[in-house]
Amino acid sequence: MRRGLWLYIGGRLLQSLLVLWVVVTILFLLFRLAPGNPLTAYIDTTFGEEQQTALMARFGLDRPLHEQYLIYLGNLLRGDLGDSFRYGGTVVDQIMEVLPNTLYLTLTSLVAAYLVGVIGGIFMAARRGTRTEKVGIIFTLMTRAAPEFWIGMILLAVFAFKLRWFPSSGTAAAGTIYSSEIEKLLSPDFWQHMILPTFTLALYLHGLPLLLMRSNMLEVMDQDFITMGRLAGYSERRLMIRHAARNALLPVMTALTLGVGYSIGGNVVIENVFAWPGLGRLLVRAVTTSDYPLAQGAFFIIAVIIVILNFFADVVYGLLDPRVGSSDQAKAS
Amino acid sequence: MMKWQRSYKPLLSVLVLAVVLLGLTSVAFAQSGAPVDPIVVLSNTQAEDPIEFETTRLLVENMRQLGLQVEHKAVPWAQYSDTVWFNRLETPEAEGGTGWQMTAWRMVARPERMDPDEFVFNLFHSSTAESGYNFVGYINPAYDALAEAQRGETNQDARREEIFQAQELIANDVPYIYVAHPSLPQLVRTDIWDPESIVDAQGIGIQNFWTWTGMTPLGDQKTIITNTGDDLISINPLYIAGDAPSRITELVWDRLMRIGADGLAQPWAAESVEWEDETNVIIKLRSGMMWHDGEPVTVDDVKFSFEVPNSGESPMYAPFTRRITNIEILDDSTLRFTLNEPWVAFEVASLAKVNLIPKHIWEPLITDLMTKEDNAEGLTIDQAPAIGSGPFKFVDWKEGETAILEANKEHFSPPKADGWVIKILPNQESALGQIQTGELNFLREWEGDSQVLQEVADADPNITLYASPDLGFRFFAFNLRFPPFDNVALRQAVAHVMPKDSIVKNIFKGFAVPADSYVSKAIDYWHDPNLPQYNFSIDEGRQVLTDAGFTWDAEGMLHYPAQ
Repeated sequence: MRRGLWLYIGGRLLQSLLVLWVVVTILFLLFRLAPGNPLTAYIDTTFGEEQQTALMARFGLDRPLHEQYLIYLGNLLRGDLGDSFRYGGTVVDQIMEVLPNTLYLTLTSLVAAYLVGVIGGIFMAARRGTRTEKVGIIFTLMTRAAPEFWIGMILLAVFAFKLRWFPSSGTAAAGTIYSSEIEKLLSPDFWQHMILPTFTLALYLHGLPLLLMRSNMLEVMDQDFITMGRLAGYSERRLMIRHAARNALLPVMTALTLGVGYSIGGNVVIENVFAWPGLGRLLVRAVTTSDYPLAQGAFFIIAVIIVILNFFADVVYGLLDPRVGSSDQAKAS
Repeated sequence: MMKWQRSYKPLLSVLVLAVVLLGLTSVAFAQSGAPVDPIVVLSNTQAEDPIEFETTRLLVENMRQLGLQVEHKAVPWAQYSDTVWFNRLETPEAEGGTGWQMTAWRMVARPERMDPDEFVFNLFHSSTAESGYNFVGYINPAYDALAEAQRGETNQDARREEIFQAQELIANDVPYIYVAHPSLPQLVRTDIWDPESIVDAQGIGIQNFWTWTGMTPLGDQKTIITNTGDDLISINPLYIAGDAPSRITELVWDRLMRIGADGLAQPWAAESVEWEDETNVIIKLRSGMMWHDGEPVTVDDVKFSFEVPNSGESPMYAPFTRRITNIEILDDSTLRFTLNEPWVAFEVASLAKVNLIPKHIWEPLITDLMTKEDNAEGLTIDQAPAIGSGPFKFVDWKEGETAILEANKEHFSPPKADGWVIKILPNQESALGQIQTGELNFLREWEGDSQVLQEVADADPNITLYASPDLGFRFFAFNLRFPPFDNVALRQAVAHVMPKDSIVKNIFKGFAVPADSYVSKAIDYWHDPNLPQYNFSIDEGRQVLTDAGFTWDAEGMLHYPAQ
């Protein structure tokens, strides 16, 4: 491979590490500068001064700030995100317990939203200027503008409480126990619980790919090669699906990869409405209870995933675009 | 000479005038002291606690009518509790510091609080003023003497007299002004559960141990399904992790005594509890009890359970065992507990509070922790399995979703239900929908408008609303360490402008009773019925201030009495 490319990748890697270090430092300071004492979570009549000092010592909060910072960095390098103040156990365990639920919900919703969005976008482009397009666009804009919690509540009221088609909360009927994650995924009960939150999230997410796809399609349909195709006598249908859609799809796929990165943080609103045990709720709780290690750890993992995805995107660009990493790099960027 | 006189005469008269004027103003100052300092009243934000916020808003409005310069400041909980709790000794914010002068606050009901000892002692004894629960800084040797005396008083009537006197001191000194004892409304599906089997305990309502174990199914649905808005923090018999986790620990782990619906401790895992004298108790353990893993419950386990909190590995339980100086095993079913001083609340606050834990599981864990900085409160359920001997067995806990218990049919008092499930539902509306569909059958937690529950119960004959007044209370606390609330007349005047009745009617929508003491009317044996009352009246409030020598200036602002 080209030497310039290696330099480029090395530079990006260093940049990513620098970004992570800055994120880690900001996270550390952010929670300590925020008002409120982590011990307020423990206030109780039966709680004297000795217990308070003992707690401070147990969590290392009695040490000077710079010392706490060095311990924190050292632990991170060893892959230790610490123990949660409130829950006792390790932060990694806490996060791993809810992360799968967040992934099931967001990935299913993203796939559904992008499938519907892409097909819908092509359809809208084909129906350019008709009544169908007008109504479709208005509907899409409405789902995009309406607050997620409101849509969620309406769906709950109608489908869970009025019609009683779907369960209204959680991932399983009360009292259900799954022996493994696989068993959970194979259970119809789990998928029934998934329907309402997934539908709400997908409804919200489908607007972006749909509108993007539609405008890309319209742009591509004006290009010369399509006109050439028309002259060559290809059917409009074939042109749209085989030729225009393929080209219009690329930016939508970029949006999807970004969407995956941002969705790792969970969907606080939907998780709350449907009592879905995901990362978003864990994060909010950690922040509101000043559970520094848990909040830091969760944000750190999200940051790592986003930085890694970005890094790979950069590398892929480098491999695909010969201008990147060559002497013309300045011009290219 | 003449010339001198003539030329200085006007100057002299100006001087005389000045002296006279100065004299007059100093007379005016002698009649009224400095203006009363500006006041900041803290409360929760409207989003976090609408009831508290509205109550504060109303009171602040009325305080202004006393001629006080008052600001209502609503603060997010973390910052709010930090200020009130940890900055109690700091200069108040209105004076440029980080402390506080006056704040809304609340105490919640707990079974052990059915004995007044905890509130009587902890809230106002001077020993808890610096960092404990006497956050207002009430220092009164006469009160300390009463609080200590009632603790050792074994004659119940004499103790009641002391507790009455303690309440009267507080009512006169007004470190708190009381708002109400809320009655927390709860809904039960009485088509699923026999309403006769729901136990309403004095001061803590239907959500209690006797209800959970006694609830009798009417049909095929035999699992109690209830809710909580917050995630469970921990399920650990050595850690008090909040309200919902406490409901679980009290079902999974047995205790030597249980607090009955009448508020008195009764033998439970103990067959009998006999006082030899004021500081020695003989405990006979019930025979045939088993841990959920099949091992027998022994006197060694009991001794161990009461020694762990004193080891330093369970600080939250230490106050319940601190006064136990010795535990002696007399034979394989009998123990003698020795206290360092008489303590009337021992049965309620210790024997009915400390969870019995299996020594064979916990001893290795505690020994290991002795060498570490951590203590047993941080142990998770994977490290310390939830094995108790109680009427329910722990089955599963899914983070952010549910915890599941099943009935222990081998228990000496087996529950009537087959299981007990708590769902974590951060969405209130969803909880309300679920009690209507039957996805929940016991709505134990509701932060919203009580009237909404009333409407649900009225509309559906299968749903019954329960709401009985609670031990807990909402109040306003003064920081007695700083002006202006180091002045008792001012505190009494503010007490007069608290419109309790209209707050109960309009803000609590009737789901509360007005409070006049920290001992609830719900435990009527201990509540003093003859306390001085502060009727709502702005005029009476102003009269109290006038009598104490306060004055108002031309703008109507309140001034201190002259020195």
